[in-house]
Amino acid sequence: MSKLSLHSLQQQMMNYLIDDKADIAQHVVEHGSINRTARLHIYKNAYRMRLKETIENDHQMLGMYLGDDLFEQMVSGYVTAYPSNKTSLRNFADALPNFLANHTPFKNHPIISELAHFERLLMVAFDAKDAARFTRQRLLEIPHEQWPSLVFRFHPSVQIAAFNFNTVETWQALKQQHAPEPAKHAANVWLLWRNNERLTQFRSLSQQEHSLISLMLSGDNFAQLCEQLLSQSSDEDISQLALNYLLSWVDDGILINQ
Amino acid sequence: MANNQPINHLTRELLLSLSDVVVPEHFLGFGLGLRTEHFQDVLNDKPNIDWFEVVSENFMVDGGKPKHYLHSIRELYPMVMHGVSLSIGSTDPLNFDYLRKLKVLSNELQPEWISDHLCWTGAHEKNSHDLLPLPYNDEALTHVCQRVEQVQDFLGRPILLENVSSYLSYKSSEMTEWQFFNEVARRSGCEILLDINNIYVSARNHHFNPQDYLNGITKDKVKQFHLAGHSDYGDYVIDTHDHPVADPVWQLYQQALIRFGLISTMIERDDNIPPLVDLLAEVDTARKIAQQTLGLSNE
Repeated sequence: MSKLSLHSLQQQMMNYLIDDKADIAQHVVEHGSINRTARLHIYKNAYRMRLKETIENDHQMLGMYLGDDLFEQMVSGYVTAYPSNKTSLRNFADALPNFLANHTPFKNHPIISELAHFERLLMVAFDAKDAARFTRQRLLEIPHEQWPSLVFRFHPSVQIAAFNFNTVETWQALKQQHAPEPAKHAANVWLLWRNNERLTQFRSLSQQEHSLISLMLSGDNFAQLCEQLLSQSSDEDISQLALNYLLSWVDDGILINQ
Repeated sequence: MANNQPINHLTRELLLSLSDVVVPEHFLGFGLGLRTEHFQDVLNDKPNIDWFEVVSENFMVDGGKPKHYLHSIRELYPMVMHGVSLSIGSTDPLNFDYLRKLKVLSNELQPEWISDHLCWTGAHEKNSHDLLPLPYNDEALTHVCQRVEQVQDFLGRPILLENVSSYLSYKSSEMTEWQFFNEVARRSGCEILLDINNIYVSARNHHFNPQDYLNGITKDKVKQFHLAGHSDYGDYVIDTHDHPVADPVWQLYQQALIRFGLISTMIERDDNIPPLVDLLAEVDTARKIAQQTLGLSNE
């Protein structure tokens, strides 16, 4: 047998780990009481276990929702469909929501993909870039005549997530070790971020607050936010309502210094 | 930054008691792998330990709580960075995106040194996320040395490479692992992180004498020891890092001390993480064994 090049050896080893092709076995030394199949299997087992544990750690509530059998089926399907091309395991399961939305039996229950999506967004908020927060003190220092032209920027951890089911409520019930309500179709939008104490936090957004945040994301200033409010609720004190929103965003720690 | 943090009193006593022992220029003392489970305890208790090793990839994130803790702990202790994703032996091109992140973290932490493993972790744009063994032959040697030089040029400093535990060997190998390791260090100028547990695990799995491994490694290339636990299945041993250091590994550590002298040593625990105090006790054991062994060897 001619000597196997390093390139071919690595290709055959990856083919074994990912696709179960055993060509590499003939190039492995057989000695001692452990045959080469068993030796290779140690690596195969470690490969599968490492990827499974990564998904378990990243998606604990999803795991509880699915139960052991479906979770195993999901892991097996995902590891086969999406062998890792990531440098870090942190990103290995990035495509899990997409996998769940497109493969049976999971795609028949869209809340499963939404649960995975929510858990990945929590991870993004957890280790997003740091940035100095906009504070009430900073706001007070800005002359009132400048307020209409103020444009606010969000902390890098801020995520806006739209769901079609009672996904977050289901996640919360599982987290508190309660049986979740049955999946219900209901459009809802959530805000996720890392707060001033560096803890990941989330809350639902009303239609009004969501529309304001959407305007901010497109670069609209404070005056334009007030105009939006005016168009929606003519009989309220718009400036007070706008101020309340602004102060709640500042206190939540979702805005940063310009 | 605490670049010149004084080493603790136990280590100082050890050094004073060993006037015949040559203390290497970069001796850090006795350290521990920093794990997220212990962040708060380390900051609250400021344990009597010389240094911490951090897993580089765990902190290659943009921000958040773990990184905040890391910087707080760095203010108190010297650190070294230990990576698992360099894949120095892969036939894929070097991952310069990874190397850039490594360099950014290195600039932030100012570690005493940066290490990774003598292995490959993936190829053909797929990642096993495992430390896979290389064939020990001239082709792999040339390939690895050329990549180590590229990495060292990029980082602007020599790196340390660590021997991995292995469960198989290839028919295309032409030399022993320690011959290969030595030659990589000699040709590329990298230094050696000798994992004592990994030598023991591989020796059991491949039926070689671990003392031959120690004797085969050039003395002045070794800059750090790792000590860790494993799982013994009788016919084979798996490097699980989820148990305390086993007795045969402590014994091999003694032999390593006799051969290499005083080397920066740390306890590496990655799973089944016990309370911090338990790991500090293991670090103390390593320190005491060094004291006894080097004292005896100099009598």
